[in-house]
Amino acid sequence: MTLSVLMPVFALMTSLLASVILFALPEKGYRLRTIINLAAAILKIALVGVMIWGVAHGREYEAAFTMVPGVEFVLRADALSMLFAGLSALLWLLTTIYAVGYLEDSPNRSRFFGFFSLCVASTMGIALAGNLFTFFLFYEMLTLSTYPLVVHRGTTKALRAGRNYIIYTLTGGAVLLFAIAWLHGLVGDLRFQEGGYFSDVDPSLNGPLTIIFVLMMVGLGVKAALVPFHGWLPQAMVAPAPVSALLHAVAVVKAGAFGIIRVVFEIYGLEAAEAMGLLAGLSVVAALTIIYGSTRALYQVDLKRRLAFSTVSQVSYIVLGLCLFGPLGVIGGLVHLVHQGIMKITLFFCAGNYAETLGVHRIDELDGAGKRMPGTSVAFTLGAFGMIGAPPLAGFITKWTMGAGALEVGMDWVVAVLVISSLLNAAYFLPILHRLWFAEQCEPWPHERRWGRLETSAWLLWPPLITATLMVLAGLLANVPFSPLSWAELIVLREVAL
Amino acid sequence: MTLFSAPFVLLSVMLPLASMVLSCRTEWQRGYRYCLPLLPLPALLLGVAVEPGWWLELPGLLIGGLWGADDLRRAFLVLTAMLWLIGGVFAIGYLKDHHLRRFCVFWSLTLAGNLGLIISLDIASFYSFFALMTFAGYGLVVHEGTDEANRAGRVYLGMAVVGEMAILSGLLMAAQLAGSGLLANLPAAIAGADRQWLIMLLLLAGFGVKAGLPLLHFWLPLAHPVAPTPASAVLSGAMIKAGLLGWLVTLPFGEVSLPGWGNALVILGAVGSLGGALLGVRQQRPKAVLAYSSISQMGLMTLMVGAALANADYAGPLFAVMALYVLHHGLAKGSLFLSTAMALPTSRGGQWLLWLLIALPGLSLAGLPFTSGAASKLAMKELLKPDSFGFAMAPYLPTLMSAGAVATMLLVWRFLWVQRAVAGVGSNPAFMWLGWGLATASSLILFWWLPWPEAVPEKAWLSAMVYEAWSLFWPMLLATVIAALAWRSVKQR
Repeated sequence: MTLSVLMPVFALMTSLLASVILFALPEKGYRLRTIINLAAAILKIALVGVMIWGVAHGREYEAAFTMVPGVEFVLRADALSMLFAGLSALLWLLTTIYAVGYLEDSPNRSRFFGFFSLCVASTMGIALAGNLFTFFLFYEMLTLSTYPLVVHRGTTKALRAGRNYIIYTLTGGAVLLFAIAWLHGLVGDLRFQEGGYFSDVDPSLNGPLTIIFVLMMVGLGVKAALVPFHGWLPQAMVAPAPVSALLHAVAVVKAGAFGIIRVVFEIYGLEAAEAMGLLAGLSVVAALTIIYGSTRALYQVDLKRRLAFSTVSQVSYIVLGLCLFGPLGVIGGLVHLVHQGIMKITLFFCAGNYAETLGVHRIDELDGAGKRMPGTSVAFTLGAFGMIGAPPLAGFITKWTMGAGALEVGMDWVVAVLVISSLLNAAYFLPILHRLWFAEQCEPWPHERRWGRLETSAWLLWPPLITATLMVLAGLLANVPFSPLSWAELIVLREVAL
Repeated sequence: MTLFSAPFVLLSVMLPLASMVLSCRTEWQRGYRYCLPLLPLPALLLGVAVEPGWWLELPGLLIGGLWGADDLRRAFLVLTAMLWLIGGVFAIGYLKDHHLRRFCVFWSLTLAGNLGLIISLDIASFYSFFALMTFAGYGLVVHEGTDEANRAGRVYLGMAVVGEMAILSGLLMAAQLAGSGLLANLPAAIAGADRQWLIMLLLLAGFGVKAGLPLLHFWLPLAHPVAPTPASAVLSGAMIKAGLLGWLVTLPFGEVSLPGWGNALVILGAVGSLGGALLGVRQQRPKAVLAYSSISQMGLMTLMVGAALANADYAGPLFAVMALYVLHHGLAKGSLFLSTAMALPTSRGGQWLLWLLIALPGLSLAGLPFTSGAASKLAMKELLKPDSFGFAMAPYLPTLMSAGAVATMLLVWRFLWVQRAVAGVGSNPAFMWLGWGLATASSLILFWWLPWPEAVPEKAWLSAMVYEAWSLFWPMLLATVIAALAWRSVKQR
């Protein structure tokens, strides 16, 4: 066994192993649990970092074995998987730090962190999966490992949200499985391959392939929260803040979006999907989701709910980018996978901080919070401007690249969608910012806690500050090697035959 | 670009941004206030000392950064840096402790945006700084926290965001055609574009919001007056010019003659210049009168923009005149805004002197001979001769300019009238005296030694003014007669 085989396995095993140990730890082992958590997260970043370096320099990492004849289990690191793996490794560390601070003194921490690690292991598996079967395996594992996190609090509301979540995602999973099995019957086991398989397919297969594509999009669209399969997401925000942060930034919605990317690029192939007219349909769904999510977000009074609908909208940017069928559009979509992740996790961290420190859940309770919690509020402000797409932040790079990509291929209406979405984003984020910085506090905070000199616990304060900084850098230094934008360009250069 | 000036370029933008460190601790906020005038210093040095034509490549920045300055940008840079410096000095005396730290942060951010957009040669940097200035400017507008300020802020922000989106779409379309991320390649691309009308419309409207183009101006008379006085001065003197600069660096000047757009802009400019005055004379508050005067003055600049679009050959010289006009109007308007906060001295002679010094920048706006306004107006008249332009509105240009001068003078009288009613007697903090004094001195005296664009026509020089005195003088006289009649009729009622 050489290192090139072991690396992807190690990357997966760090969180899997951590999860097993964490389950076994006694509830009281606070310090040991924190050490294991952080050590595993840091180790994973190192492993992924090495692989990113290697992939950039043309190395290949692959581990594969046959499970049953005709069905392979494949873990593979290519440029696209590193985009997602890098994002989740980085955000896992930050979310772990945040979760340690957030769940201080709350019950069932062993269970929580166990499933938390399992969830990240699934994400890593999804990133590294080399074929549809492996992908599906981890896709379902993700569903099962996130459910306990969503219902962690055990309240009726949480349980109801959890039930809803599991119904949506398991149904989606079943549809996806059906589609994968059908495809398997039609053409055999398919590894993800650059350019896909169907560029010169027998026209008689067009019918079934179209239906399979639609089914796959439904199956993946549930997690990616495409309208009309988004219903579970706003409810799932009853989960503890670190879970929401992870769910919205990396784990669940991104798994769906990432799956769509894999299927479009590396199973069907962008050109074939375009030729069969599949992308046109998908782009309309994505555009509708973008507008719908933003419009619904406008009417939410609960901060986390507003952020949840914003996620519905933002994740579809990724899907819309793919549909643009040109290098720039695809780059815009891919880079948003990372950008949306760091922006949204910042916002959810901040929402969690307001809730934990001040007991504030509703937007109209935020008056004057900027003065009380300047660090958190600066991070929130940056995240919000990033979402609006204000330059020079990460969201602007996405919007600019996608807009240019749309014009390049003559899909001018996409620019209009981007503009409308930005206006809606501004309409639901700017009033919050006004409250934070310019409104005077009129009532005492609903449930305030004090942490000495800092505005809140350092465990809660640093993660949003770091992600906000990353978000600024991702935009400001977009042209530097290894920036998300440069990496997305590399992916398109190498793996998307255009 | 020499080794010596590169740090100045980066410092011009970084110093205001870095100064925000001072907001980290409450104890530092008083110190922060004293730093405000220092923040635009590197930019001022850059504008005054470094010959235009320099550039600095920043390949890692955004999607490839390029900063630099030409003759046009230099004039904008000098004005902007000077005005923010003066405003900073004034602010030290003016600001109360109420939310001082917050004000300083937004001041620094807005300043960084305003300076940065001027020296940006690439689209992404330019748009970034423009957006920074716009959004941070909101903090200055709503600073007082009154209902009126919040309302003005809402209108400001709403229109600004729509404007930003128009700019973004226009820039995207132009950049896609140009196949380049540099501003310098946009005009040629727009000149040859199929959907030229759409791109032009988006950019004209988008930047027009900032420049107070008629019908896009609604936020301006609300927002400029409610801001704290030093902020009003930079809003109306410097930031409003960013919209004009946006037009000048993106639209296809000198590439093609577009008489249709020229006609439209000349008409819009005339509407702005005369309509602004018409609405302005009905205002009760000095700062509101001044805000409308800014709309009126921007109308005259829009008129020049229209002429430059209509005749490609004249774009170059007109740019020089516009740069001169920007310098003149920025300094005069800055001085006028600052004077609204000045209390009158007790002695009668002192009062007269102060009124004279308050009135002079105003009279300069109207084109009083031997002032910066006369120089700019003469330069403008020299170029806007109907014979040089073939478009439909061309024959009316001299009439419009004279009518503009009458309108301006009327506004100046109105301003003095309402200012007299509200001005109290008392003492001013030393830094307010200093700031206002600097502004007035810059407008009346220092202006002649500032780096003017080289292409300004000879007529503008002092000696030539003697021969032109009457042509400058009669509109002012006419306006004075009208003002006197109006005053009498009000008094009799």
